Order: sequence, then structure tokens, then C-alpha cells
Amino acid sequence: MRRYIKIFSTFARACLVRDMTFRVNFLLECLTSLGWMSMNLAFYLLIFSFTPEIGRGSGWSREPFFAFVATGLIINSIVQTLFMPSASELTEMVRTGGLDSVLVRPLDAQFLLSMHRFDFSSMANGLVGLGLLSWAVLRFPVTPPLIAWLLYPLLIVCGVAILYGLIIMLAAATILMGRNQSLYDFWFYITNFSRYPAEIYAGPWGDPLRSFCTFVIPILLVVNVPAGTLARPLSGESLGMVVLTFAAAGISVGLSRVVFQAALARYRSASS
Amino acid sequence: MSTTANSESLHTSSGWFPGLRSWWRMLIICLEERLAYRSDFALGTVMRFLPIVTQVFLWTAVFAASSRTDIAGYSRDNIVAYYLLTMVTRAFSSMPSLAGGISRSIRDGSVKKYLIQPIDYIGFLLASRIAHKLVYYIVAILPFAAVLFFCRGYFPPAPDGLTIAAYILSLLLSFLLGFFLEATLGMIAFWFLEVSSIIFAYMLFQYLLSGHMFPIDMLADIPTGITGVSLADVVRLLPFEYTAYFPAAVWLGKITGWELVRGLLIEITWLVIMIGVCRFVWWRGTKRYSGFGG
Amino acid sequence: MYNSSETKSDLIIEVNDLAKEYRVYDKPEGLWASVRGLFHRKNRIIHALRGVNLSVGRGEFLAMLGPNGAGKTTFLKLLSGIITPTRGTARVLGHVPWDRADDFRRRFALVMGQKNQLWWDLPAAESFRLHQEIYRIDPVRFAKIRDELVDMLGVSHLLGQPVRELSLGERMKLELIAALLHEPEVLFLDEPTIGLDVVAQHTIHEFLRHIQKQRSVTVVLTTHYMKDVAALCERVVVVTHGSILYDGSLEQIVDRFTTHKVVTLDLENAPAPGEMERFGFSCEVHGPRVSLRIDRSRIADVLPKLLASQQVRDVSVEDVPLEEIVAGLFRGAANRQAGVDPEQEVGAV
Repeated sequence: MRRYIKIFSTFARACLVRDMTFRVNFLLECLTSLGWMSMNLAFYLLIFSFTPEIGRGSGWSREPFFAFVATGLIINSIVQTLFMPSASELTEMVRTGGLDSVLVRPLDAQFLLSMHRFDFSSMANGLVGLGLLSWAVLRFPVTPPLIAWLLYPLLIVCGVAILYGLIIMLAAATILMGRNQSLYDFWFYITNFSRYPAEIYAGPWGDPLRSFCTFVIPILLVVNVPAGTLARPLSGESLGMVVLTFAAAGISVGLSRVVFQAALARYRSASS
Repeated sequence: MSTTANSESLHTSSGWFPGLRSWWRMLIICLEERLAYRSDFALGTVMRFLPIVTQVFLWTAVFAASSRTDIAGYSRDNIVAYYLLTMVTRAFSSMPSLAGGISRSIRDGSVKKYLIQPIDYIGFLLASRIAHKLVYYIVAILPFAAVLFFCRGYFPPAPDGLTIAAYILSLLLSFLLGFFLEATLGMIAFWFLEVSSIIFAYMLFQYLLSGHMFPIDMLADIPTGITGVSLADVVRLLPFEYTAYFPAAVWLGKITGWELVRGLLIEITWLVIMIGVCRFVWWRGTKRYSGFGG
Repeated sequence: MYNSSETKSDLIIEVNDLAKEYRVYDKPEGLWASVRGLFHRKNRIIHALRGVNLSVGRGEFLAMLGPNGAGKTTFLKLLSGIITPTRGTARVLGHVPWDRADDFRRRFALVMGQKNQLWWDLPAAESFRLHQEIYRIDPVRFAKIRDELVDMLGVSHLLGQPVRELSLGERMKLELIAALLHEPEVLFLDEPTIGLDVVAQHTIHEFLRHIQKQRSVTVVLTTHYMKDVAALCERVVVVTHGSILYDGSLEQIVDRFTTHKVVTLDLENAPAPGEMERFGFSCEVHGPRVSLRIDRSRIADVLPKLLASQQVRDVSVEDVPLEEIVAGLFRGAANRQAGVDPEQEVGAV
């Protein structure tokens, strides 16, 4: 609804104004996230000095792998900019009673709680990701077909949706348990599995882990499928994964909403 | 870390190292605090091993595609053992919120009471860190032992007694070195307000250069401008390697004989340097600070 | 906005046997208890609210008076739909609050003292604009009401500053404005004057009185300050330990809970020790000033004797101070909780 867009832009504007007021801080934050990223890129270059490919026959040679990394940067940048700041404030809001004031407004609580604060410095990584993607794709032996280009942005949105659903479910857990544990910790551990292509999970331990992280908590679909669409030749199997990703996105968003509403219904409001 | 409550109890004693009884009290309080978050720490300790799982799979995939049996002298199994051992080293050398805590107490002025009282701030911090670490070990020993036992197949046979002694020594030294590195870092707040970015930059370099991400030996093929000196050699001269890489490499037998002795000597040298730097920075910092009469 | 057809009769708030219980875990004390706490946690049930009944009509200004932990805030949270009850029913404006229907939420407002509901980083003006969007207030009407309220409280110079930079009193004024922008029919105020200085309290009292009359808002205000109650409303509900002890007018509290009056005498000379006690009433002597607590029914009898026996410069006959009555009520309830015989006369010292 147009109302939600207006409210969103009010918050976005306020955040932007604040970031620009503390310009130096903003720049420092951009630099630090770029710093982390460069370090990881250096690590990947090091790895590729030892091997031509990650995973025998997986197709993740250097350029496709960097396309994978770039896709990860783009998706994570979107999530970190739009949703993480609000979600990580949730523990504090539960503690101080800020959640109470959200619940009395005639507005969707999930919307307010997941989208009232933004972190624009996280966009830096996303921009670098776009650059990295261009670099990598230009070096592909075969240019990806048109359909891959059409699917790619849609799959990025799906990846963001899957992660969003996970964030909301973690937020629901926070509301229910009133935990002190920062959301970022859980988030880090869960998303750590998706840092590398799913193909690395092989063998007697790897296969079940891979299935779990594809079909139960589908984090391995988030980056793998969009990146694979561009970087690896399309096949029946990969199109199947595309469909699966669309489904996972829908389920993630839908299921998380149900869980979140249930958590709100049980809210204890233990503040003072 | 309830340092304020604990510092009151330590004020009864003066001198470089606080009374043993007050320290014991602090230990007990710390233990109680840990136990209060019962499910948190059990889960939290195990979860810290999760990133290693990803790294193990990554390296397995790297080995699979490269048709090599070792990279820079590390077989695949070696690498798994290496990561697990760096976790052990990190259990000694990581100082969570030490730098941040010091900088915060400088910024909000609570460090002032240490300037007035006849108590040694650094000594106090060190004592409280020892207490916290001991509590952490008590609480984490089971999960650690379980994981290491579970993965014992990846380890080479245990090294000889002398090497084990060297290993333990390097662990203890890494604790002290880690402490003085971060304590000095935190004291930069005497001069700069925005310390968190500096701390972050330090963490970044430490992560990269300590061997936390990969064994430093892997940099051996990367040349620097100077002939016969690889990037690995340069990085090995820095103190960072001792916070993760060195003890692990010692246990795995990658550093032996004269190299081992040399490594330990360098570690001790860095420690002595850092103790000196830390004291100096504290002295200059407090001088400057009192000048403000805040 | 006013759907009077929805509410039969003019009962805005109907509460029936509303109760709320919490399970709470005790924090272990000492090392051994902490270790045991790993395996078994002691817990107990807190009865925040025990079967409360209440009805409030349109336009009433009701105060809920009670000590901390009495259940007042829990009650308001239930009526605002923030939490769900353990048992019982409630209807506000015809809605079940914890269904959290948008239609309901648009018609009431909640203001909590010392808790910030305005967006911390935004200037108040932006918060108000946000409110306009959230509550879908017509822009023309919004501007009119906002300007009116801002004028009334004299805060127009504060609108541009981020809320976190303002003092508590200033913030509370802005909170009240924000709460009234969408012209709610019901206003819930949870300890709105807590932590404010006397001037700010007074301003807010005036403001609330004016608003309530002008717009016929139904107001439920919780507080533990007698001052708020005396200044603002006729109807008082006294709450302790999750139950309603009294529900009626302020004057009637005096009649209901005391049988005594306080007689204060200003004597020419300080009385001799033990002299005033002769009359057999509890008394306090401070130099030439004597206060006695005398049974109401006996005042007509005793007073002339008193005046005759002493050289009296001035005399006053007053009710037991409200604070004392209420404090006594609280104490009595606490004693009941603890199993002590409560049959102590309130106001009898």
C-alpha cells in the first residue's frame, strides 16, 4: 500500500540525514566493511593459486567462483542495509518496552519492526559486488544466455526473501524468549554455511548437510542458484533448482509471518 | 564484565598484584555469571566450532580439485587439525572486549578512580582476565574435549614431551601477548575518541596475519621485493602469528628444533616489548588525561 | 469516528474477571545454587491481576491508584491489547483489545510515562507526520489539531529537534500531543507524570483536564501519586496486589475508610506533658500545636470540652489526609497478602 511506502521513505530519509550528519563515521563504516571483504578476496586468490577449481568437476573455477562471491556480496548487502539494523534492535525494544508501542499502532508490527532503521554503509559492499560481477562475467568463456540474465535479478530477490524469512523467525524467537543473545551471532553461524558454493559439501557428512541446508533451511539456495544461473551452463537440474528457489522464497516469507504473528500473540511484555 | 563491583573488593589491597582472596572472590562471581546463562554457554561454545566445519569442507574441495596431497606442507587432515588447534590457541589469546572496555572506561571517565587509588590498573585487568579465562576453561573444557576427541582421526600422533612443553609454554605466552597487545590498543583512547574503527582495523589485520584464516606457511610462495624472503617470512616476524598460528604449528610438528627455539625467543621478545609499550602508553596516557582535569 | 451504534449503552470499557499470571524464574544466589540452576530452575507464579471487574462510561476520567507492582500497568497493557489475559474478558469500544484489530487501534491511544514511543532519532515534527500516515489522519484536520495542541502546550520551538535531545518534561508533552493527533476516543495514560518536576506536572494536569472536557475523551490514568488523582478526576479505583480494593469517588474514600477526623488546635501555651493524652485520643503534640484523632461520631461531644479546657487560638477539623488513607489501604492489602490480620482501622493511629 502506498501508506507503507510513505512510511518507509520517512524512515529512510531520517536515516540518511543522520548518516550524513555523522559523515566521518559513515565513511569509516564503509571502509571497514570493504576491508573485511578485501581480506576475504585475498584469501580466495590465495586458494586459487593452489587449485584451478573448488570441488572436482563442480564448475567453480576462478571467474565463476568470483561471480559467486559477488552475488553473495550483493545479496548480503541488501539484507544488511534494509533489514538487519532493525531486527538487531529487537532485543533492546523488547527490553525497554518499545515493542509495546509498536503493538498499539494500527500498522503491521512486522513491517515496523523489520524496516524502521537502515544501514546505508552496507551498500558499499554491494556496489563492489556489482563491480566484481562485471569483472568476472566479462571473463567467462561463454556469455550467459538472455534467460540467465532475466532470472538473475529475480533469483537475487528470492535469495533476499529467504534470508528475510530467516531473520523474521529469529526475531520471533527473540520476542518469545526475550534473549540477551545478539541476533547477529545466530545470523553469522547460520549464514556462514552459505559463504561457499554448495558443491563443497560432499561425502558422508557433506551430503546430508547439503540436503539439510537446501531443503530444510534453504540457505544454500540463496547465493548458489543465482550465481549458478549465470556462471554455469543451464540444465534441467539447474532449472529445477530455480523453481525450488522460488518456492523456498515464498515458503520462507509465508512461514516466517505465521511464526512471527504467533510470537506476538504470546508476547509477555516483561518490561517494568 | 562487572569490573566495577570487583574493583571495589580489590581496593583493599595495594601493590602490583591484588590480594589472592579478592581475586578468588572475583573468580566465583564470574563463574556464577557464566552459569546464569546456562543454555547460552553450552550452545555457544559448540557453535564456535561451526565455521571450522565450513572451512574443512572448503579445503577438502580444494584438495579434490587440485590433485595435490599437500599444500605448503599441510595435508587435508593436517588442515583440519590446524583449525582445531587454532581454536585452542584462541581460547588463550583472544581477549573479548578488553580493548573496547578500556577505551570505554577512558571515554566515560571511570578510569579516573584507578588514577587516584594506589592500584595498578594493568595488573588489575590482568588478574581479572586470568579469572575470566579460568572460568571459561572450566566451563568450555567439556565441549572442547568432546570435539577434539571426535576429530582425533585428523591428528598426527602426539609429539614428544619436549615439544609438548614448548607447546604449553607458547600457549601461556600467547595469553600474555594477546593481553598486552589489546590492552595497549584500548589505551589509544587516551588520544583518539573514535577508537572502534582503529580496534576494528587491528582485528582485521590480526585475523589475516595470525593464521586464523589459513596457515601462514601458505604464504611461502609469495615473493616480496627482497630475494629469498617470502611473504611468509615477513609475517612470521610480526607478533600476530603467536595468537593463533604458532602453537598450532608447534603441535603439528611444522616448527621444530632451532626454528622452534627461535620462534619462542621471538615470542618472548615481543612480549617484553609489548609489556614495555603498554606501560609506557599507560604512563603517557594518564599524564595527558590528568592534564584535562575532567 | 464515533460509532455509537457499536457500543450498547454508553459503556466504553467493560472488564469481567480479568486475570493475568506470569511464571517467573528465580535467579540463583551463590555458586552452588548456580550449578544446581543448570539442571533445575525454581519458578513461581506471579498473579499480576486477579479477576478484576470494571466498567467505564463514555467521557469518564478514571484514575487507577496503587503502589508499584499493584497491577495497574498490566491492566492497561491488557486493555491496549499488548498482552493477552490468562482468563476473563474485556471489551474496549466494543473490541476485544488483544485481537489487535486495526479499527480498534485507530481509536485509542496509549502514553507511558518515562517510556518513549516517539521515534528516538526523528525530530518531533517528523514523528507527528509519521503518525499522520500510520493513523491515516486527514491532512487538513491533522494540521489543525497539531497546531492547536502545540500551542496549548507551548512546544512549537521543540518540534525541529531530535526527540532524544529533549528533557523528560518536554518529551512527555510531545508524547501527549502525538497521542491526541488522531483524536482517540479512549486515552490510556500509564504514570504520565512520573519523574517530572512540579511545574511540568501542573501543566500536564491542566492540559489533560482541558482536553478531556473539550473532546469528551474517556481517560484511564494510572498513577501512584495522590496529586494526580486529586487534580484530575472524580472516580478513583484503588488497586493493590492485582485486585481492586475500592472503586468510587474520592470523597467517598474518606467516608468509607475512616471513622476519624483530625482536630488540630493552636494553643496559647504548650500544654503540660500528658495533659492532652488525658482525653483518651491519640494525639501529637508539637509545642503549642496539638493534633488529635477523634472519632467522627464523638466530635460534637468532645470538641466543646476541648475548647473549654484550653486556651485555644485556632482550631481546625479536617479529614484524615488522603495520602494516609490510601497508604493505609495499601498496607492493609499487603498485610492481607502476608497473612496478617488486617482489621486495623485506617486513619486510626
